[in-house]
Amino acid sequence: MQSESPKDITDYYKHLSLFWTDIMHLMSSKPQALTSIGPMRAFAANSKKVSTELIEINEDLMEFNQHLTEYYKQLSDTWSVAQKKVNLKAPEVPQDIEQIEAFKRIWIDIFDNDFTELFDSSKFGENYGKLVSKELELTKHWNNITNVILQSANLPSKEEIDEVYKEIHSLKKRIGKLELALKKKEMKENAK
Amino acid sequence: MQSESKVDPKIIEEILKFSKNVIEAPKLVSAPDEISLEVTPNETVQEIDKTRLLHYESEVDKQHKTPLLISYALINRFHILDIQPEKSWVRNLLNQGFDVYMLDWGTPTSMDKYLDFDDYVNGYLDSYVEYIKNESSSEKISLQGYCTGATIATAYTTLHPENVKNYIATAPVIDGWRDTTVISNLAKHMDVDKMVEIIGNMPPEFMYYCFSVLKPFEQGIEKYVKFFKNIDNKKFVDNFLRIEKWLGDTPPIPGELFRQWIKDIYQDNLLIQNKMYIEGEHVDLKNIDMPVFTQVAVGDHLVSPECSMPLHYAIGSEDKTLRMYPTGHVGMIASSLSQKKVLPELGEWLAKRS
Repeated sequence: MQSESPKDITDYYKHLSLFWTDIMHLMSSKPQALTSIGPMRAFAANSKKVSTELIEINEDLMEFNQHLTEYYKQLSDTWSVAQKKVNLKAPEVPQDIEQIEAFKRIWIDIFDNDFTELFDSSKFGENYGKLVSKELELTKHWNNITNVILQSANLPSKEEIDEVYKEIHSLKKRIGKLELALKKKEMKENAK
Repeated sequence: MQSESKVDPKIIEEILKFSKNVIEAPKLVSAPDEISLEVTPNETVQEIDKTRLLHYESEVDKQHKTPLLISYALINRFHILDIQPEKSWVRNLLNQGFDVYMLDWGTPTSMDKYLDFDDYVNGYLDSYVEYIKNESSSEKISLQGYCTGATIATAYTTLHPENVKNYIATAPVIDGWRDTTVISNLAKHMDVDKMVEIIGNMPPEFMYYCFSVLKPFEQGIEKYVKFFKNIDNKKFVDNFLRIEKWLGDTPPIPGELFRQWIKDIYQDNLLIQNKMYIEGEHVDLKNIDMPVFTQVAVGDHLVSPECSMPLHYAIGSEDKTLRMYPTGHVGMIASSLSQKKVLPELGEWLAKRS
């Protein structure tokens, strides 16, 4: 595939990277079976998955940064408005201990009120939700890269471990319910 | 040109005193790690997985037959109900002649990510209730739920009403749509499926973030200034460090339980609409027909009164009481107000029915 007029520069580099990792992967498949179990063979096969994850991390990082910028913008705007309110309510520079205490009380009350109002707002909730969601996407890519490394070392992946956890949980639940039912039955019989 | 200094000498004095207090603080007070939060002697009478059932030792004779089990919240630990001898919820109830048990939910690990409402309600809580019934030779027990622990206890009471003689709901999380707190706003916009899929359990660090945005300047700055200013006040410092240690110690929440809690309570608000199901069983609030005592704090910024009060109106009980107190979420259970007003009222109500 030729990328004569790529719509997006990220797509172009994604394609370029995948092209070369694919080619390297195919080339590395050529040697005889003797090398197909060695670490270099595993590395060649896995490098494609790792590079794909890294490219996607880059894409998600851009969106994450957008939400992070909005997050700090909301905090900074709220700070400015709150500070203006404080300046209006307490325009004089405090001169003694009592005035400092009073000023501090005004400052804390206004800032707490304004920031609580921000954190309560749907615009904050929506952006924060998206920020956390993107952060989770980044974590997912990192988990995927870790899985590639784990599998190359013949260790179980996170999904495989989760399957075991799920199975153990299901078994424990069944045993727990059976034990509880048995105990209740025994208690009923003893009560008779 | 002459310039006249107008700085109040008291300010300089105050700054110097404050600096001295900061420097001397480590010599005067213990590190939070060195403080034990165990106050009232207790015995672990049963353990299931990472959870355990505590039975408190009383210095007075038991005066009421029906034992009381407290289902503490999923956030932070049960120690707040027994944080100091003079502010201990547990000790107060023991002194009123009640037989008190506490459920410690423990610290879930990655392995526990599949634990759900069913495990907590029909598994752990039901097993401990059966144990207490057996040990105390009682047909029923009194159950108290606090905060999210009250959500679990409410679900339990609807599904097993035959085991609950009296139900006490303290700041229960019930009606997520009416909740006006920051926690509720964050919960409503959370992609909980993605969170559970990718990280499993709800990490404590995320919980810390949620709490840090509640009254950020009062809680984040002012309270520490007060701490250093009062470093010579042993009682104040001891109380401060105990509360701080308790605040800083919150276990992860199992992923599946967290998913169901956020979706069913905050996002879809199923519990109050009588549309919630646990492992196929309908959680119908009308099934709650025993005496119910609901306690709500007017200044609660973690679970707003609007979120808790609907329980009182939704249940099927005829004998029901709603009490509102001029305090906050923690103030209702660990303060002088709780000792002087909240607990005596609860004790009087419970004694008549135990």
